[in-house]
Amino acid sequence: MTTVRYGSRLKRAVTFHVPLVLMVGATLFPFYWMVITSIRPDRELYNVQMNPFFTLHPTLKHFQDLFALTMFAHWAWNTLFIATVSTAISLSCGLLAGYALARLQFRWAAPLGTLIFVTYLVPPTLLFIPLGDVVKTFGIGDTPWAVILTYPTFLIPFCTWLLMGYFKTIPREIEECARIDGASRLQAMIRISFPLAVPGILSAGIFAFTLSWNEFLYALVFLSSPQQKTIPIGVFTELVRGDVFYWGPLMAGALLGSIPVALVYSFFVEHYVTALTGAVKG
Amino acid sequence: MAMREGRQTIHRRVFLRAAGAAAGAAVASGGIPGIVSAQKAPSFPKGTKLNVLEWVSFVPASDVEFKRLAGEFGKLAGVDVTVDLINMNDLNPRIASAIETRSGPDIIMMISNWPHLYADGLADVDDVAEEIAKRDGAYYEHNKKVSVVGNSWKAVPLCSVPSTWAYREDWFKEVGASKFPDTWDEWRKVGIALKKKNRPMGQAFGHSLGDPNNWAYSVTWGFGGAEIDQAGRVAINSKETLEAVKFTVAVWKDCLDEGGLAWDDSSNNRAYLAGTISATINGASIYFVAKRQFPDIAKVTGHGHMPNGPGGRFYSIGGQGRAIMKYSKNQQVAKEFLRWFMDRPQYEKWMASNDGYVVGPTPFWEKHSLWEKDPKLAPFKESVKFGRWPGYPGPPSRKASEALVKYILVDMYAQAIKGMKPEDAVKWAESELKKAYA
Amino acid sequence: MADHPVEPFLAERRARAAVAAPVAVAVPEVRRPTWLGHLLEREHVLAGVLLAPTLIILAVFIAYPFLLGIWLAVSDKVVGRPGAFVGLENFRVNLNDAIFLRAFQNTFVYTFIATVLKLVLGMGAALLLNHHFRFKRIVRASMLLPWIVPTVLSTLAWQWMFDATFSVFNWMLMNVGLISTRILWLGDGVMAMGCLILVNVWRGMPFFAITLLAGLQTVNPDLHEAAEIDGANAWQRFWRVTLPLIKPIMLVVVLFSMIATFADFQLIYVLTRGGPYSSTHVFGTYAYEIAMRAAKLGQGASISLFLFPFLLVVIVLQLWYIRRND
Repeated sequence: MTTVRYGSRLKRAVTFHVPLVLMVGATLFPFYWMVITSIRPDRELYNVQMNPFFTLHPTLKHFQDLFALTMFAHWAWNTLFIATVSTAISLSCGLLAGYALARLQFRWAAPLGTLIFVTYLVPPTLLFIPLGDVVKTFGIGDTPWAVILTYPTFLIPFCTWLLMGYFKTIPREIEECARIDGASRLQAMIRISFPLAVPGILSAGIFAFTLSWNEFLYALVFLSSPQQKTIPIGVFTELVRGDVFYWGPLMAGALLGSIPVALVYSFFVEHYVTALTGAVKG
Repeated sequence: MAMREGRQTIHRRVFLRAAGAAAGAAVASGGIPGIVSAQKAPSFPKGTKLNVLEWVSFVPASDVEFKRLAGEFGKLAGVDVTVDLINMNDLNPRIASAIETRSGPDIIMMISNWPHLYADGLADVDDVAEEIAKRDGAYYEHNKKVSVVGNSWKAVPLCSVPSTWAYREDWFKEVGASKFPDTWDEWRKVGIALKKKNRPMGQAFGHSLGDPNNWAYSVTWGFGGAEIDQAGRVAINSKETLEAVKFTVAVWKDCLDEGGLAWDDSSNNRAYLAGTISATINGASIYFVAKRQFPDIAKVTGHGHMPNGPGGRFYSIGGQGRAIMKYSKNQQVAKEFLRWFMDRPQYEKWMASNDGYVVGPTPFWEKHSLWEKDPKLAPFKESVKFGRWPGYPGPPSRKASEALVKYILVDMYAQAIKGMKPEDAVKWAESELKKAYA
Repeated sequence: MADHPVEPFLAERRARAAVAAPVAVAVPEVRRPTWLGHLLEREHVLAGVLLAPTLIILAVFIAYPFLLGIWLAVSDKVVGRPGAFVGLENFRVNLNDAIFLRAFQNTFVYTFIATVLKLVLGMGAALLLNHHFRFKRIVRASMLLPWIVPTVLSTLAWQWMFDATFSVFNWMLMNVGLISTRILWLGDGVMAMGCLILVNVWRGMPFFAITLLAGLQTVNPDLHEAAEIDGANAWQRFWRVTLPLIKPIMLVVVLFSMIATFADFQLIYVLTRGGPYSSTHVFGTYAYEIAMRAAKLGQGASISLFLFPFLLVVIVLQLWYIRRND
């Protein structure tokens, strides 16, 4: 953890506090708006004159509607399950592959590395049709596995590459010292390099989890029954009916679909520090 | 054109015919209703599933009713019927994926001229469609045109979701219009007066398939212009189209809410219910939301017809239909379902649950009692007589679809509004259409 | 990292680590390695084992779709009919298509501006978050929210915030007196592009921030102290100590973000659908309209993949650059 010394308090305010407040403000302003919208009665939503920043008649009706009119609880569980498992798969693969490509010398390193990343260039908006064929062949359509097994196609390349970058910042010498001391390659990898790469693993994990959580097109095409839907699909397709948007429940769904995840993240983000200080200072 | 049905299905068909013949003449012509009335259980193999994919209806009650009816059919026929509902806009990727992987729902809803677009993946449904027409009267032309590809019916017309002008009767009265103006010139006069009072009319010119096209196509036709002629040649660059564009540019300043360039299908609903516009083209959704949430506005809302132009009065209506997918292994069940659903007792219930949002595919349904209940909905019922399809007067081919999804007509108007000279806008549309129809 | 002023610090770090390693790791007693152990000592065997899961998943789930995607781009396939090879015909049609050319321009503008902004702001945010302050945890977690919210839903919220009738920004600006007529955020081609970039940056910046933060955390604070003792000010410390050390991570993040932004679809689709008058179409949205709504899969694929050769070269170069520092 960096402790930066400041001169005067004014300097501190200007170079730290003000930018921080501005940044947090700009980032969270839309959320403030979303929160207000989700507790504001419908009548007020359509009133142009009204102050959009607060309401005198907050209501929980939209949240109730969300659970009553849709299978939101189901979707939340589906999304959680799918995101967790896809992340686990992608992270494991990415960790191993990233290490191999960053550290090991072998003939096919360059072409394989390129191949993995090249697959990232074909966008999902194009891939979903042939992927649909694969899903159908394996008989996993309309089950969570259809997306759990297809999400890694865009998660693994990034995890691999990111972790490659992290492994590059860890000096070789550390591992070599361990190997001199008798550890095998595998042990050096697992006991030394992996722990040092924990910040990378965590950010790759966050990235993978969020992308799975957020994903729209594959979930739309491969999951058809209401019980199987994920939060983005369910909320969007059932609360946007033709030309009528149910704003209250929509925003309620958006909030409930993200705040719990943010809370979990806050837990992990702090782990960067503990893991790191532990590893470097021994 | 051999259908991809296995031996089992053929046997089923034979069985059904035999069962039908055994049960009497009524059965042979009446399908499931006939069988039911003859007290004989239909004979689909146990475990047959039927999956239907539809749009999420703007009227939630009609979704509930449809699911109920589907369940009822399931019980009658001994079949497991499931219904999936997604947004209208998200149907396309599902359909494409289904056709390409040759698996998915058995029945899928078709919107506007999609039967032409997906013709190769759809089964022929001539028997069902023509049976209904014989019983209820010939379909409206736009319903038929979009459902027949070549010489075969590729979808059974279901309904139309028409739009009309929702307008504030009270505000119109204030500027001297006791009813909705009947010609574009009158409309413009009223519009000018209204905008002066800060109550402009509203029209979308953004990239959305519903409302923006309601103006772009209807006004172009209304002034006598068209994308293509009957033979399919690009004919947009005409005196008439130029008039339409010039008219639109003029009324943009005089009468319309200038946020319209960014509007999608839902923006005008919002604006109308917030009281910032006095009139707009829309389906019945504005009226319904008003009845539920803003009764004061509903009281003073009326519906008027598209004004008459030098070329006539037109609405851009594509209609909706239901298609049976060629890959489906349950085509017979699917046909029975469609037959049963479109039969009067069932359709009547479904239409009632829609509360005037939809219009039936044949003139028979103009007599439905719901039209008496709320006279304000009458214009919707009448509008289908003026309904035309994308590509009119040419065929609603897949090229017309390309023109539609590229928003060529809409962008022609939008660019002119934004400052392009009308002649250039029309020329631009012509070159774009030529590429689409190449 | 040969001629870097950071070299002495790095050497110091290595020395420290060399001392730390045996202490940090409980190395088991030296055993005679098993046959498997022997095998895994060989680099290419270990590499094969490590890469196997990845390659299997990608081969099964992407090799075929990937190749099919490429084939689509050079075919005239429409939904429901088999396609025939047409070579570069689709690309020729694209180059004659005014909407496509506009989409081409938009995609580059959108991607470059958004990426630069995300990098700069993300870096700034990471530097700010790399301090110890009260509420640090909550701030870091809340910073992630734009990234976590499902894009479709947050974009809908932005749509309302930019709405011609209801825009909260207009409300604020009018009430403060800065404007007298409402701004039509999404009603003008240039302004709409600006809004799209804004939303993309809002959504993507947290990702840059958190990843770069993790990178910053790997920089040993002692390096900073030593540099400060040597007289470097904050900017120099950043530019010459921090930046070089996190460059690999930065490059990875920037490249992936750029590729993802080039292919961005959801955000633009929900906010403008390519309007007004097709002025905000990007490859992703235009390809979708052509492939899905006009059912021309081949043409749509050629739009999606238009940048493929260019991006391929970029990736190869990037990979080479990362591996060369060995």
